[in-house]
Amino acid sequence: MDPLILSRIQFGANISFHILFPAITIALGWVLLFFKLRYNATGDSAWMRAYFTWVKVFALSFAMGVVSGVTMSFQFGTNWPGYMETVGNIAGPLLAYEVLTAFFLEAAFLGIMLFGFRRVSNRIHTLATVLVAGGTTVSAFWIIALNSWMQTPAGFEMIDGKAHALDWWAVIFNPSMPYRLVHMLLASGLTVSFLITGLSALRYLYGDRSESMWKALRTGVFTAAILIPIQIFAGDQHGLNTLAHQPQKIAAMEANWNTDPNVPLVLFALPDEAAKENRFEVTIPDGASLVLRHSASGVVPGLNDYPGNHPPVFPVFWGFRIMVGTGILMLIVSWLAAFFLKRRHSLPKPLALLMVPMTISGWVATLAGWYTTEIGRQPWLVTGVLKTADAVGPVPGSHVALTLAIYLILYLLLLIAYLGVLVHLALKAAKDGDASPLPGVMNAAMSQPAAGE
Amino acid sequence: MTFDWPTALPLIFAGLMGLAILIYVILDGFDLGIGILFAASADSEQDTMIAAIGPFWDANETWLVLAVGLLLVAFPMAHGTILSALYLPVFVLLVGLILRGVAFDFRAKVPAGKKQRWNRIFFIGSATASLAQGYMLGVYVLGLDVGLGGMAFGALVALCLSAAYAAMGSAWLIYKTEGDLQRKAVRWLRTTLVLTALGMVAVSLATPLASPRIFDKWFLWPEILYLSPLPIVSALLFLWLWRQTFHLPKPDDRHSILPFLTLAAIFALGFAGLAWSFYPYVVPDRLTIWQAASAPESLAFILVGTVVVLPIIIFYSFYAYRVFGGKATDLTYD
Repeated sequence: MDPLILSRIQFGANISFHILFPAITIALGWVLLFFKLRYNATGDSAWMRAYFTWVKVFALSFAMGVVSGVTMSFQFGTNWPGYMETVGNIAGPLLAYEVLTAFFLEAAFLGIMLFGFRRVSNRIHTLATVLVAGGTTVSAFWIIALNSWMQTPAGFEMIDGKAHALDWWAVIFNPSMPYRLVHMLLASGLTVSFLITGLSALRYLYGDRSESMWKALRTGVFTAAILIPIQIFAGDQHGLNTLAHQPQKIAAMEANWNTDPNVPLVLFALPDEAAKENRFEVTIPDGASLVLRHSASGVVPGLNDYPGNHPPVFPVFWGFRIMVGTGILMLIVSWLAAFFLKRRHSLPKPLALLMVPMTISGWVATLAGWYTTEIGRQPWLVTGVLKTADAVGPVPGSHVALTLAIYLILYLLLLIAYLGVLVHLALKAAKDGDASPLPGVMNAAMSQPAAGE
Repeated sequence: MTFDWPTALPLIFAGLMGLAILIYVILDGFDLGIGILFAASADSEQDTMIAAIGPFWDANETWLVLAVGLLLVAFPMAHGTILSALYLPVFVLLVGLILRGVAFDFRAKVPAGKKQRWNRIFFIGSATASLAQGYMLGVYVLGLDVGLGGMAFGALVALCLSAAYAAMGSAWLIYKTEGDLQRKAVRWLRTTLVLTALGMVAVSLATPLASPRIFDKWFLWPEILYLSPLPIVSALLFLWLWRQTFHLPKPDDRHSILPFLTLAAIFALGFAGLAWSFYPYVVPDRLTIWQAASAPESLAFILVGTVVVLPIIIFYSFYAYRVFGGKATDLTYD
């Protein structure tokens, strides 16, 4: 088979698997800090129980993120040597800063955060939590900066076919970077809120009414309810930014074949790229013009302006719709749950049942969104600078196919094991309830004041 | 020679990359080694062995990311050439690292009945990753030769490097444990030392024989005089450590970290020898560090950050090691 398409699938598989875990750790670090600070302020041991339940999820997710991240750093060289040869002068430093400023920080203090509660003072333990949470966020900052630069490159010049940086500030804070960073950080927040909500709902369904379950559940539900409207607004702003800088991506997202005013919003369709039309279309008249131009007669860019230079329409169109659809579902579920928790101080069973599958809704939306934006950049690897087809390495297709097959099997098994452990941890916590042993009580000689008791 | 940045920067980065690789080999060496020793240990000892590396392994592996990152960032041409040539061994290495990395966490969190399976995966992953690293080292010193002879040599180095990692793991266990496990670790150290020494001799002989250029760097007068301390000191350290294994552990467990430090010193000496052999090439006999280097303005931008951040990283790494100093007990999440 064609090494290009195989390498693309392989990279897509690796990075899709990888992003699942940073999407959790970026925000979970801050949630853990919240638990820790609440414990520091109130001395209520239920907060510390919630902390110790979720720090295990954090550790596992972090390990999955590290190992799949190591894979990514090798992939550039093994499959895409043309990438670093052309834009290595830009991409290299951004990746280097990620490792130097974030990766080491997380890795070193994670040990203290996980295993150090009895070995360091409470203040240092809180500080370790701050540093790990900060590290994951700084990590996201550099990676998003690089990805955004590939979408909307700025601050460089081409000399002999190689990119050279002119202005690092412009490189890092390129036009789409602030929007993408905010969008991704909020996405991580939502992923974690629904993860916590879903697994807490599972504990609830198994009869767990412990304080630590309620505290985690409320944290998850209220965080989600607050973040989702902000995310919808931020996503809209991000879309307008894309309209200004990558109109062909917008045209594909909307499956709009001709540049026109009064463009309808397509709710459902099967885009047919050969015939340049949509089948089984369901539309809202003037919708796209209203959303994108805030006027019914606004002109929306169409694919006819970019012959041979626009992304494949079908995956971009559907990726976007899956993301938005999941977002709307998140809005409904989190606001309903917030209403019941706030006003009725209870959780109806059907709602809890709905929340359990929503555990992975953040993953679905995050992946769909990344597919939209990354496939939406094609045929370019770096917009206007380097085409994907020109960056692929000389590795034979059979090698790529073999390794791809093994990666896919491995990832599938690991994903099953990961989700299995999450459910196992939740059910174990449900069984132990508030009777789960608290660290610091077991080994009195070394311990801090037994956590709040 | 006058000092100019375009000449100095690639040199500085080659040094930094070398440092990152050396630190990686020593630090991840002992935790990979403990994974290999899982095959020889009893179930009851495995929790303690994990506890001896649990808080550190994440940070240890980060040095590999830094080393590959520096190769990628500072020498993008070499990154592509080396990694495409080593496509399959790199893949095997990655699968090994993935398996052992996740096994660390899974073994502690799955229901008790499934723990054995993850212990086995931890061993398999550690062994695979070590073998792949050794194989790549072997192929690299022969100038990325992947003929039949190169593969056979790669296999030999793979075995010896794994033994060397197991020796590091044993030395770390001598430092971090006590009682039966510690005595067992002493015996492991003695066995694995033999293969370690064999591997170092094999690499030291093969490197100059495979390349006339490297041969001349070592065996011409007066270089041979200046360089002779390298093999002599290594050999003496080996002999001293070998004798020590008959007297360990010492009363009151004095100097229990010495075997580990001695091995680290041997690794450092071997590494210095390799660095001398290959300088100034980053891809043996094909690309020098200057031909493969990134643009000076990019290197300068990274250097600023590195100079500020690297000492901080080393400082807090030491701090983390100090927090978890002393003998390992059962690791608990607290």
